[in-house]
Parts: sequence; structure tokens; C-alpha cells
Amino acid sequence: MLGYALCAAYVLVGGLYFWVYNLLNLYPDFGYTLYGTTFAMLVFIPILTMRSLAEEHRSHTDQLLLTAPVSIPSIVAGKYLAMTAVFTVPVAILGLCPLVMRLYGTVSLPKAYGALLGYWLLGCAGIAIGLFLSGLTDSPIVAALATFGVLLLSYLMPGIQSLFTVGSLLAVGIFGLLAALAGLLAGIRSRSLMLGMLVFLALCAALAALYGLRSAALTGAFSALLGALGLFTPFENFIYGIFSIPAMIYYLSITALFLFLAGQGLEKRRWN
Amino acid sequence: MIQVEHLTRRYGTHVAVEDLSFTVPTGQICGLLGPNGAGKTTTMNMLTGYLSASEGRVIVSGHDILEEPMAARRQLGYLPEQPPLYPEMTVEEYLRFVAELRRVPRAEWAAQVRRAMNRVAAADMARRLIRNLSKGYRQRVGLAAALLGDPEVLILDEPTVGLDPAQMIEFRTLIRQLGRKHTVILSSHILSEVSAVCDQVLILSRGQLIAQGTPDQLADRLAGRTRLRVLVLGQASEAAAAVRNLAGVCDVQAEPEPEGRARLTVALDAGAGPQQQAAVSLALAAAGCAVLRLEAEALSLEEVFLQLTGEPAEEGGEEE
Repeated sequence: MLGYALCAAYVLVGGLYFWVYNLLNLYPDFGYTLYGTTFAMLVFIPILTMRSLAEEHRSHTDQLLLTAPVSIPSIVAGKYLAMTAVFTVPVAILGLCPLVMRLYGTVSLPKAYGALLGYWLLGCAGIAIGLFLSGLTDSPIVAALATFGVLLLSYLMPGIQSLFTVGSLLAVGIFGLLAALAGLLAGIRSRSLMLGMLVFLALCAALAALYGLRSAALTGAFSALLGALGLFTPFENFIYGIFSIPAMIYYLSITALFLFLAGQGLEKRRWN
Repeated sequence: MIQVEHLTRRYGTHVAVEDLSFTVPTGQICGLLGPNGAGKTTTMNMLTGYLSASEGRVIVSGHDILEEPMAARRQLGYLPEQPPLYPEMTVEEYLRFVAELRRVPRAEWAAQVRRAMNRVAAADMARRLIRNLSKGYRQRVGLAAALLGDPEVLILDEPTVGLDPAQMIEFRTLIRQLGRKHTVILSSHILSEVSAVCDQVLILSRGQLIAQGTPDQLADRLAGRTRLRVLVLGQASEAAAAVRNLAGVCDVQAEPEPEGRARLTVALDAGAGPQQQAAVSLALAAAGCAVLRLEAEALSLEEVFLQLTGEPAEEGGEEE
């Protein structure tokens, strides 16, 4: 039921944007229309993914899955492909739009469908993130909020990036925090306070050295880090008509990373 | 057949299951008995591979559950305490899904699902949404799911809890039937059920195995300690005095009854036989208390259980 509702809502949003941008205002660029609808993913993806693993944990149906002769990769793949299929339906319907536009004028079909492909990959990456976050909690609502938060941050990343162009000191501060986090994780994993402290101190020393010698590189690195977290920016390439292979690889890598992490999360429950 | 060797599970410093070892041969029904918190569910979760053990091994039909998980899980059917049902599916849809999960070949799905539903007598609910089923039917669907793929070992966690008495009896009959072909491990805290259905009983308390044996062996375990319940015509105190110092008598409790009678509960030592019972009745007669009724009672599994798990015994209000 939810799947149908989500598809309908998404087609509504996409259709609305298509109507206003392309049909009323005669804008020939379908990629731009798609970019306008990306905000809808911020709502669609959390709702789609929230129950995927969280509900299994909450109602203990994960006992059925984890005691069946199926491997964890197949469980993750099954859930992921099901959700991707639900996402693909409205995207496929929106794929009819360039053909409609063609009836009324000249449209570059490769550009339009290239943009659609980038759009679809963007959604698939978002769904992978949603699946991972769903696996971290027992509550679908928490999963939805977390996914929304992460995607929102990603969406606003260009703005956030511009806030950090000045002051490598701030960059040092943030990297220092990351170093502390790394030290904490190392300490917890190895159950040794000593190792955690050593990792933290080593990273701090490296940071201090970088700050002293090449502070500009530090700001640059920080900016790059933020850039990597911006899920929606590589899609812009497709709007400008650039069939960006790096962008596609980026989306596929994000997908692979978060599916792997989702599997690890499931495995961890067994050992807890 | 399932072998468990030195199974241990720790949560931080708390030990939930400690050094558990036992074997259940094929075709046997084994009962795990224990008070709440004894570690029954944790043990079952480890047997099925849902939880990993801190130490020890579980070998299902010759496959180690952690080293050959796929092969081992193929031979396991699990019905957890709360059956893992999807409320939005119908019974038939759910069972088909489970058939697919259990790697049943596609061509056999329909046949196996029908057979499982018939075995648990849930066939008329095939098109009903699971959320609309009663507790009894949900248990049955859960059991049907555990049967799919014809696994060699069935692990049932408190399968009759929440069922009404008629359903409980049906379930037990079903389990006995299943026990002929499968290896069944079930957990319960309904002692009558365990003694009625199981070939072997393991009693767990606070994570440790404290007793193991057939229900009869366990009942005999407290060395045949019998209790005599005697109804006499006479004074309670006189009757008690007559019996108290006899050889083989551990304890006497006496209570007056209306119409000049008294009720005695005489606890006899281990190894007490009919001569002891005869001595008691003769002693009472000699003291002028006519014996109206004399019954010997072997300790029930309930009492064995309570004694072994160290819970305070509930006598029928006859001890102070």
C-alpha cells in the first residue's frame, strides 16, 4: 500500500515540475526539471527505507531471516533491490516526459536520459544510506528522521561548504574532533585506552605539522571532505549535459559502501 | 541429531548460559525446563545461530552452526517465543515466503505449504491476513513455517504458551507425532507438558544445567522419597507421636479434621518400601488411631523441579 502511495506522490511532484518548467515555461532542459524535484527525495527516501530493517528488529522478524539458510549479503541485496524497484517506477514514468516534450519541439534525448540516469543513481545511493540507517535502530521513526537529517545535510552541503572557506584554524578544529573520534573508535575496538590515546595523539601531531607547514592544504582538504559528503552536487554535472563518469562512480561507490555497512550492522547483532 | 559442547554466553560480566553440554539423538523429544531467566531462550537462540556463543560449539546434523551456517540452518526449523510473522501478509503468502527462504525448490512450494498447513490444521485460514488471526492460529502458522523444508531438527520455544487447554492438547499430540521423525527441542515452564511429551528433560537454572534425564528418572532422582498421606480416626497429636520415632520416617505433620479425624503427612526416607508403610499403619493402629485411608505419593516432577532450582517449595498449606 505504502509503495503505491509513494509512487503516486512522487509522480505528482515530478509531473507538477514538468508541467510548470517544461510545458508552461517551455524550458527545453529536462535535467533542470529533475534537479528541481530532488527535494522530494528528502521525503520519499526516508519514508521508503524507514521500515526496511528497523521494523524487522522491532517485531523480531529478523529471527526468521537470520536463522534461515540465506546469507546476510542476500538479505541486504533483497531488501535493497525491492526498494530500488519501488523507486524506479516513478522514475520510469517521468522518463516519458522527454518523449512528450519531443512532440512539441526539439529536445536532446541523450541529454535528457543521461540526466535521468544520474537522477536514478542519486536515488539509489540515497536508498542505500536509508537502508543502513534503518539497520541501526529498532524504531522506524528514528530511522526516517536520521535518513532525513543525513540527506538534508547533504542537500545543503554547497551552502555549508561556503561557510568554511575562511580560517584554517576551524579546519584544524574539525579535523581534531575527527581525530578524537578515530581515537575513541580505535580504543573501543581494541578495548585498550592506551591504543586509543596513541591514535589520537598521533593524528593530532600530524595535524599540527600540517597546520604549521601547509595550512592552506588543510582548508583545501576540509573543503574536499565536505564536498564528498554532498550527495546532490555530482548530479549537477548531468544537468549541464556532462555525462560524468566520476559522478556515476561516486554514486555506485556510496551505494556499495552503505550496503556493506548495512550488512555489517546485521552481522554485529549476532555477536552482541 | 544435535550436539552441544561447552556452550557459554556472556553479556559483559553477566553469564547467561554456562558450560552447557548435551546431545539430543535423532527422533528424540528433549525438553528444556527452567524458571524465567534460566537461559532457555538464550540457549535456543544460540542453537539456531541467531546469537553467537562466547564459547563452545553447536553441531546440527554434523554441521557446526558457525562454520557451516548454511548447511546447519537448512536442517533447523525454529519457532521462537514470538513467532516472526509479517502481519500484512496472508498465511499462504507468508508460508511461501518462508519456503523460499528455506531454499525449497520453487516447484515444491505449493505442495509443501499445503502439507505444512494441513499438519497444523490451519488450512482454512490460508487466505486470512495474519494480523487478523487469533493467538492459537498464529502459533500454528509459526509451527507450519518451522516445518517447511522438512528440517531434521525442530526447536520450539514455549510453543503452547497462550493457547487454550484444547489447543494445548492438540499441539502436544502434534509434537509427539513430529517427534517420531524429527529431533525436537522444546522449552517450557509447564511441567506437566514436559513430562507428558518429552523423552529427555534438561533442567536449567541461572544458566547452568542442574539435572538431566527422563522425566521418570528425575522424579526418582530424589531417591524415591515418598510421602504418605494418611487419614486416621483419632487425635492429631497422638497420631503424630505414634509415627514420629519410627525408623525411616523423616517428618510428620498432623492436622485435625472434623468428626474426630486427623490428617497426617509422613515423609519417608530414601529407600522406604512397603514395609515402612506397613509399619506406619501398624503403629497408628497400636496407638488407637484407626487408619481410614493411606496413600503413597512419589514426588512429582514439579517438586523435583522446585527443589533443584532452589525455589521455596509450596506445600499444600500443611507446613508452617
